[in-house]
Amino acid sequence: MKPLTTSFRTKAAETMVDEQVLQSLEHVYTGFFKGRLEAAGNTDNWEELRDKGKAIKDHTIAHLDYYLGQLADNVEKNGGSVFFAADAAEARKYVLDLAHARNIKTVIKSKSMVSEEMALAQALIDDGIEAVETDLGEYIIQLSDETPYHLIAPAVHKSRKEVAELLDDNYVEGDPVPDATELTMMAREKLRGVFERADMSVTGVNFAVAESGSITLVTNEGNGRMSTTVPRVHVAVMGMEKIIPSIQDLSTMLRILIRSATGQRISSYVTMVNGPRKSDEEEGPEEFHLVIMDNGRQKLLADEQMRESLNCIRCGACLNACPVYRKVGGHAYGWVYPGPIGAIVTPVLTGLKDAANLPAASSLCGACHDACPVKINMPRMLLELRYRTAEGKTDKDERTSTTRERTVWKAWRIGMMGRKRFDIGARLSRLFLRPMARNGWLKKAPPPISGWTSTRDFPLVSSSSLKARLNKRSKKAKS
Amino acid sequence: MTDRAKFIANVTSALGRTEVIAPPRDESTAAFDDVETARAVADRALADAASNAVELTDRMAEAASTIGWKVHRVSNPENAADIVANICDQKGATSVLRSTHDVLDEINVDAAVTSSGAKLGVTEHSGDNNETKITESKSAAFSADIGITGADYAIAETGTIVLHPRSGLSRLVSLAPPTHIAVLRPTEIIDSLDELFAHERNDHMSGNLAGSMNLISGPSKTADIEGTTVTGIHGPLEVHLIILEND
Repeated sequence: MKPLTTSFRTKAAETMVDEQVLQSLEHVYTGFFKGRLEAAGNTDNWEELRDKGKAIKDHTIAHLDYYLGQLADNVEKNGGSVFFAADAAEARKYVLDLAHARNIKTVIKSKSMVSEEMALAQALIDDGIEAVETDLGEYIIQLSDETPYHLIAPAVHKSRKEVAELLDDNYVEGDPVPDATELTMMAREKLRGVFERADMSVTGVNFAVAESGSITLVTNEGNGRMSTTVPRVHVAVMGMEKIIPSIQDLSTMLRILIRSATGQRISSYVTMVNGPRKSDEEEGPEEFHLVIMDNGRQKLLADEQMRESLNCIRCGACLNACPVYRKVGGHAYGWVYPGPIGAIVTPVLTGLKDAANLPAASSLCGACHDACPVKINMPRMLLELRYRTAEGKTDKDERTSTTRERTVWKAWRIGMMGRKRFDIGARLSRLFLRPMARNGWLKKAPPPISGWTSTRDFPLVSSSSLKARLNKRSKKAKS
Repeated sequence: MTDRAKFIANVTSALGRTEVIAPPRDESTAAFDDVETARAVADRALADAASNAVELTDRMAEAASTIGWKVHRVSNPENAADIVANICDQKGATSVLRSTHDVLDEINVDAAVTSSGAKLGVTEHSGDNNETKITESKSAAFSADIGITGADYAIAETGTIVLHPRSGLSRLVSLAPPTHIAVLRPTEIIDSLDELFAHERNDHMSGNLAGSMNLISGPSKTADIEGTTVTGIHGPLEVHLIILEND
């Protein structure tokens, strides 16, 4: 997927005045955010589970090379195939070549953010293969030719009417809009036939277990189960960070993932796949392929400030908690991963210069850090990325600040560092800026601070300084 | 260099090392526990299941009904059979599929189903699972009205039943038909996900890991349209859990 991170401001501005989308986004708060709080509150050892989840991920990422090798060995031992893809293009080519080699007609896709990085569904369609998204939200998004709006609720911004226009062949403008149940049943009917004829599936991976070569899928809908049951070929695609060492670690990871994602204690279906079907089984894929993708993740790994972002288990809790995400929406972030975690990984994976607005779009309130099931310190990383856009710490190309901006801040710093300089600065600003103000705020400032007042007002120094007032007081007291 | 060697070498260098080192023991993950530790947890879980059956059954029934199972607690096989027959009648089922779980023979499920007038199929190839057979049984599953299984385990913490697909237990029987009935014995109920995955790890370390495993917790559901929860998007719309308790 091509990043469109430069259009953050325009997209965000569009969403912030779109009443319908803002109303749909309410569910992110009332449904998911509150659901997670309640689920966490009902779990006695919640903090202990989060600490354990963090420790498991820290350990795995610190030894990722070892666990990748172990995972690949065990998938092969189980009779599966493993492909290591350096980037999205390599991963896409592997899946397309495989589909052609096996003469595949219909591919069912289960929700996977990595496959969004690969823009896989469209690539299959362009090659003449039927490729259908089977998660209901993803299916709606595919019908309307959009990209997912949220990590776990891809169509959260769509109104029921918009869904009806996409799903209901008989719907005409002005008709009463079918309810959610009716619309869901229409989708069931449409997708059943697709499931039955599918000869290949592409799924994501929630957790890959290194010691046993297993992959785990968590779904409420059951499309993950269909994908691991009906087609003769199953391809699972994963980012290289999605590993845990042991089968027994799954109990902790599932508990924190599911509660953080939807507020449920467990999802309807958790499926563990340990290779292709065994010889005496009734059905199931004959072939199992695991595609492990890097696609820039080694940059996150090599960067000690950013490495922690690879602990992410893609639950979406930070999106739900984020007051900015809930107002600017998922599309503003311009690539696969929206919200606070997107504002961290997208700049590193696709280029900080173009994505400089992403880490800036945060109030640093820390709600994401509080919500994260593996305690990723997102505000720290957002600040680090802002620092890089301002100062260009690791690479001058990351710097987006202008010379004027840097000069102003440098002058500010000098002015603030000495008593005399501070007094002179305050006096100058009192002299020149106060006459331009209305009600104590400067609405339109002259250069070099005109950039500041194009989007916000500039506060003024008061008519006399604190020092002057104190001096006056103490004189009075003495007399 | 192969794709794998190159890829892993990049990861090693991103970690600031020149070669792959074996991770040091770390208490946070179970990966360093020996097989005895997993086996001890697994064995204890089964012993608890036998001795705490009453408490586990209560917790299981409660957790299951919160997440959408229709729970039926019965004290003898005849009552279980009646419930199956009633569901078949209610649904006007013409075609029913079942797995080969023992408990279904114990409640004489075949008679219950056929008495309701439905046609009963068993998901078993008897070792003859060629492509034609598989295609036939897939389309049978997609057109069946009800699927009936036992449970390999059940988890009281979450109200989950666990199935390991194998000969005699198709993956589709609990998925494709719009109604699923699971029949459970109290001795199959374990406390939590911890014990389940200890079992799986024990199986893995003794070379007996099943090809796949499904944790089923209520009906298929979605909330993708305006956040409204709707059951039955791809899997069963209605799921029944019959718990066969001793007299």
